[in-house]
Amino acid sequence: MATKEFSVVGKRTPRIDGYERVTGQAQYTGDVQLPGMLYARVLRSPYPHAKIVSIDTSKAEKLPGVKAVIHSVNTQVPWGSGGLTQKRMIFNNPVRFVGDAVAAVAATNRYIAEDALELIEVKYEKLPHVLDAAAALKPDAPKIYPKGNLSVGDGRVTAPIQDQWGNLEKGFKEADKVFEDTYISKHVNNAQMERRVSVAKWDGGKLTVWASTQGISNARADISRDLGLPLSKVRVVCKYMGAGFGNKNQAQDYDLMTAMLAKATAQPVKLEFTREDDFTGMHGRWASEQRYKVGVKKDGTITAVELNAITNMGAYRKQSGDLSGCDFYNIPNFKKTVNPTHTNTVVAANYRAPAYPQSVFGFASMLDQIAFEMGINPYDMFLKNRAVRSKGKSEFSSNALEACIVEGAKKIGWNEKWHKPGAAPGPNKHGIGMALGGYPFRLGLGAATIRLNRDGTVHVIVGVVDIGTGAKSTMAIIASEALGIPMSEIQLTSGDTDVTPYSIGESSSRTTSFTGGAVIAAAEDVRKQLFAVAAPELKAKAEDLDMRDGIVFLKSDPAQKLPLGKALRRVESEIIGRATTNPTWPEGIDGKAFAAHFCEVNVDVITGYVKVTRYVAAHDSGTIINPLTAESQVKGGVVQGIGMALTEELLIDKPTATPINPNYRDAKVPTHLEAPEIEVLFVESYDPYGPFGGKVVGEPPITPSVATVANAIFNATGKRFKELPISAEKIVQAVRV
Amino acid sequence: MDEKKGKGVSRRDFLKGIGAGSVGAAVISTGLLDTPKVEAYPTETVTAARGKSTVNLKVNGKSYRLEVEHRQTLAEVLRDEIGLTGTRIGCDRGECGACTVVVNGRNLYSCSQLAVWMQGKDILTVEGLAKGEKLDPIQQAFIEHDGPQCGFCTSGQIMSGKALLLRNANPTEAQVRRALSGNLCRCGNYNREVAAVLAAAKAR
Repeated sequence: MATKEFSVVGKRTPRIDGYERVTGQAQYTGDVQLPGMLYARVLRSPYPHAKIVSIDTSKAEKLPGVKAVIHSVNTQVPWGSGGLTQKRMIFNNPVRFVGDAVAAVAATNRYIAEDALELIEVKYEKLPHVLDAAAALKPDAPKIYPKGNLSVGDGRVTAPIQDQWGNLEKGFKEADKVFEDTYISKHVNNAQMERRVSVAKWDGGKLTVWASTQGISNARADISRDLGLPLSKVRVVCKYMGAGFGNKNQAQDYDLMTAMLAKATAQPVKLEFTREDDFTGMHGRWASEQRYKVGVKKDGTITAVELNAITNMGAYRKQSGDLSGCDFYNIPNFKKTVNPTHTNTVVAANYRAPAYPQSVFGFASMLDQIAFEMGINPYDMFLKNRAVRSKGKSEFSSNALEACIVEGAKKIGWNEKWHKPGAAPGPNKHGIGMALGGYPFRLGLGAATIRLNRDGTVHVIVGVVDIGTGAKSTMAIIASEALGIPMSEIQLTSGDTDVTPYSIGESSSRTTSFTGGAVIAAAEDVRKQLFAVAAPELKAKAEDLDMRDGIVFLKSDPAQKLPLGKALRRVESEIIGRATTNPTWPEGIDGKAFAAHFCEVNVDVITGYVKVTRYVAAHDSGTIINPLTAESQVKGGVVQGIGMALTEELLIDKPTATPINPNYRDAKVPTHLEAPEIEVLFVESYDPYGPFGGKVVGEPPITPSVATVANAIFNATGKRFKELPISAEKIVQAVRV
Repeated sequence: MDEKKGKGVSRRDFLKGIGAGSVGAAVISTGLLDTPKVEAYPTETVTAARGKSTVNLKVNGKSYRLEVEHRQTLAEVLRDEIGLTGTRIGCDRGECGACTVVVNGRNLYSCSQLAVWMQGKDILTVEGLAKGEKLDPIQQAFIEHDGPQCGFCTSGQIMSGKALLLRNANPTEAQVRRALSGNLCRCGNYNREVAAVLAAAKAR
């Protein structure tokens, strides 16, 4: 499947909003300043589980400058997206984790708001608590919910999460050898640079919320439902946001608190999280304990996989809690049971490819270990068992995973560099590792409006929010390509529910597919109208016309042409094209982006310091709409994975149940010094279901990165690390020099 | 039953203390200590949670005379009082570098500097780089090399890069990494930011 000849698609195109981003002009939510605006802060529970007996706000309210204090007694607002399986309020009683919101204060400046928090007197009655997920499932564990700590399904999500195909028993019988092992991952925070923030303002009965959200449409729907307002009375705006990384495609409790404070004070309110709030009050990636049983034939071919797992969802179930790292392998007989479990810890929810990197770490480590024990080169193990069908039966709409493995290995020099695990001499040990990853490529609901002005310039109006992926630029490129009008003529309007049509929101790597598909359809609508106008001038039928680079021409004779400007002279005002699209997969077809990652590490076994010295990321994402921004996505996902593999973990002090490293320095997120040069390889691929053949870019890169580093450390040291992060301490303890 | 109010010493309290101290320091430098009478000492209360002083700030080649609270940080004054919101606050505790500005040629975390300490100092923010419509070479390089993903750390990365180029016009890649190491980028776009600074050095 060869890539078509494109005008803009596939070219390295700088972001359309690059100027705003490098001059400081980009307006993030926290930059919104309104006349008379108040500042708000949130008081959080110091206890992991406690009933609130009373809240005395009298001293806080007497502090000059304090305008409103809201809490569970005076403000009962449901937070619909805060819990999938339980009714969660913006302020809950009992509180269920250290960091659960107790009250919020609005004051004339942020210092007064902070001072006021210290004057709120809360009487708590401590309840028994549980921090460890496995312990929480024991019958005598303190119950966080009446039904117990296993998060039970309510139709939107299930519990336990189960999936199976083939015949597990038969699969294990066919195996020559069966391996069992357990892998553990920890809670890590999204840690996006922009602290969570919301600004709310009421104009009569209409509420405007400037949110830091990945999805304005979903945020509007959530706010409307939770506050009982018609959709027309809620406007959500997000022009620039300081990165998503997940669980922001909805309204959050602080959006609702801000709206309630603005209502109580009849003034605009800006509620800002502190960095500590961001680490403790919201969410991070769910921790997991993954028990695998894997059957293989003598040559390493997998015959069956069984996964039993517990995921720690913290005090509320915001998202699935699933583990999907087996997705990239050909497993004829499979069964998984994942138990999302409640504990009195920080909530766990979506973080970039939510169910993947921790799970790929477990399963790809498992396969790497099996390869070692059976004397098989990991390259052969991964190549042999790579996914060829989805869930053992469906065909993939496109699949270049083999090319990812082959070309990536060639680029890093696998054959020359791979050695027996632990074989490197001396205290500075070289290692090389690999793993497979990817992400579902989905089809679904998108909407777009395109206005073609009389002078040939274009407004593309879409509901997307560019969380850093370059989505705005991608939509402009797709519009330019689909219209046949140069990029220089394209303007993009996005991120305001009063103006822009529905968008699924920039999560789950869906924007290019969902909204991109709608942009193409809207462009076709524009072209149809334009060609109808231009046809008489060219003495041709509308359906015989085409347009490229702003020139309308006859398909059969391109010399018969008309510049766009001339073609538009007969148009009185403008041409408006619209589309709402909602494609679905045909029976038996499934979509996926794939990746094979490779890296080299240097492990200093005396200090335990691991340096990733080289990294090659080979990706099948279909046609790459914009290689410049797509490469950046891959590089970034890898860096996040390196942090998760080596250093990151939210540590909780057991006696007090309090997070002890809720900040950048102690959470040890990677800096410039830890990031290797990441070589990105997009293999030739074209997906017939994606816009111009494109699939998915945002989430795949993080999925194999943790396992890739872990497997390289095994190759360097000969020691298998089964618990994340693979910290310096663990390495020093495991490897005796 | 337990009762609990705040949690320990906050960064605010810490800065409040430092702020009070700095007022004293500023007074010493004016020579008032030399006057014999104790009454001549300024009478401003130093507990001064809401104490204010007038400062002159030189920002991007322009002088601003402002009354600021002692506890207000430079980042807050730039953003909230002067309206230069290009300086972002990512952590507000001197860890992430999103708020980096250049003060007298050095890159500093503006969230960790009190505005009252900035009297008479030369402050350069991201808004001060372009000459009219013409971008600084480092800004141009950040666009061409896709320096910003979400863009929230970008101003800080650019200002640390600028400070480096001011003192070293031809840095090595290792020097660039070192110079930017106080600027976190959670999008993980480190390769791009380093490439952009190196390209900017070449473009000069």
